Amino acid sequence: MRIFMCLLKRELRALFYTPLAYAVLFFFWLLSGLNFFWLLQQLADGERLIMALQLLFNGPLLTFSLPVVVPLVTMRLIAEERRLGTLEAVLTTPISETQFVLAKFVSAFVFYLILWLPAVIYCGVLKGLCLEQGVVFLGAGSLIAAFTGVILMGLFYNAVGLLMSTLTTNQVVAAIAGFAILFGSLLVFMLMGYSTQYEAVRSVGQFFSTFAHMLDFSRGVIDSRVVLLYLGNSVWLIYTSIRILEWKRS
Amino acid sequence: MIRVEAISKQFVGIQALKQVSFEVGANEVVGFLGPNGAGKTTLMRMLSGFLTPDEGSIEVAGFDAIMNAREVKRRIGYLPEHCPLYPEMRVDEFLTYRAAIKGVLGRRVRDRLQMVKMQCGLEQVGHRIIGQLSKGYRQRIGLADALIHEPELLILDEPTVGLDPHQIRQVRSLIKGLAKQHTVLLSTHIMQEVEAVCERVLVIRSGEVVAADTVDNFRKDASLDRSVIMEVQCEAVAFQSLSESVAWIGIARMDALADGWLRLELNLEEGYLAEDVFAWAAEMKLVLRLLQTIESTLEEAFVAAMDEKTGS
Repeated sequence: MRIFMCLLKRELRALFYTPLAYAVLFFFWLLSGLNFFWLLQQLADGERLIMALQLLFNGPLLTFSLPVVVPLVTMRLIAEERRLGTLEAVLTTPISETQFVLAKFVSAFVFYLILWLPAVIYCGVLKGLCLEQGVVFLGAGSLIAAFTGVILMGLFYNAVGLLMSTLTTNQVVAAIAGFAILFGSLLVFMLMGYSTQYEAVRSVGQFFSTFAHMLDFSRGVIDSRVVLLYLGNSVWLIYTSIRILEWKRS
Repeated sequence: MIRVEAISKQFVGIQALKQVSFEVGANEVVGFLGPNGAGKTTLMRMLSGFLTPDEGSIEVAGFDAIMNAREVKRRIGYLPEHCPLYPEMRVDEFLTYRAAIKGVLGRRVRDRLQMVKMQCGLEQVGHRIIGQLSKGYRQRIGLADALIHEPELLILDEPTVGLDPHQIRQVRSLIKGLAKQHTVLLSTHIMQEVEAVCERVLVIRSGEVVAADTVDNFRKDASLDRSVIMEVQCEAVAFQSLSESVAWIGIARMDALADGWLRLELNLEEGYLAEDVFAWAAEMKLVLRLLQTIESTLEEAFVAAMDEKTGS
């Protein structure tokens, strides 16, 4: 655990050494701000308060920017180590591939959580506004469900990015591949979920659609099947990354 | 310290190592010699635990390198080719991080950091960013990293490549100093480096070990023409007529010295040595004041070993 924390600390520091991390933070927080501004306007125009979390966590600005933002952060995880040759130096120390890959994954996930920090602040602002207006704010359950959705989606998105970074030495290729998979699946399953012609297509789309899942989570619905889907996918993606790293050495 | 038995490694379309076997004792300094692409780096990567062999076994300090990889890695300090470092980190920060992941605990980290910085001449640059340092300093940081956890075995893959002559001398003297407490495996194709630092050589060509011996024996065993230098009290014409009757002596050079003696460089046929020349000179009643074998250089021995293998 001590060694894992040591690896994690270095990874987090390394993330913030690059200007890209600050650019990504600026870009995503700006979109979060615009999204919140839009949400306030909707509420001022008479939108129901119950819709606030859906607008806050599932606004189109955030939904469609995450497939870009996450691969930009994860692209360097393993690919950069391989490019610099430091992978050889790290893997000839007594640490295991699992410790190394998990530290990489957790660092990217922590950065992802930092991206969502404004959402916590905006929830506080909304609560304050509600208190001022004498309106009862949404219960803790709805907030827990919404943040569970954010966490599960983060695990899955970062695991996809990690795998792409393990597969290639080129960071740009890793980022493009990650974007293609995340954005492609988001769009395809979302469109399938809205298909009215074929029932089977619609149900498959809805079952796999990140957009639909986030809508449910921000409505306060936690579906155990969806939780298992995200956790299962994240675990096998991370496991595959570890195995690929081991396999490339053998 | 190291026992390698019949290891082989194949990459896509390339047989990198073929049935390589050798042993290295404790506190020995062994040089891996071989042309580019001979398999030196692959072998070093296997010894360091970065690659696994397709077949055969590697044992380091009594531990199997595949079954007990972690124990083996604890005992190895490895400096990879091109010395990979994190350019954005500061020297102290990097070495502290490396010590921690290599299992150096608590207060010992600070002690080891001070020690390796002193050994590698890094005291003045501890706070500097690695990416801003010269190649020489970066190489020394790589060495300090390899030493930070006090390994029993040091594996150094071309540690002086890209350094200027002054830096090369510094790194060589550092390695020589380390050899007193560590077993050192050194990969290089700089012959002077091997002569300056190593006790034994292991020559690899096309993935096979073609020679494994002490530096002196390797030089002597090379199948080169034997040459001797001789100073004899005799006239040039007289010596020439005497030597014509002996088929195994060839005169490469003959100089009449100012004091009346004759200085000769003789090439001897294979199987003949300086003592045969001495016996012949005694038989001819020639007066000698100098008889010396010209030893081939390590470079000549290396080229001969390569040629012998190719049959050229």
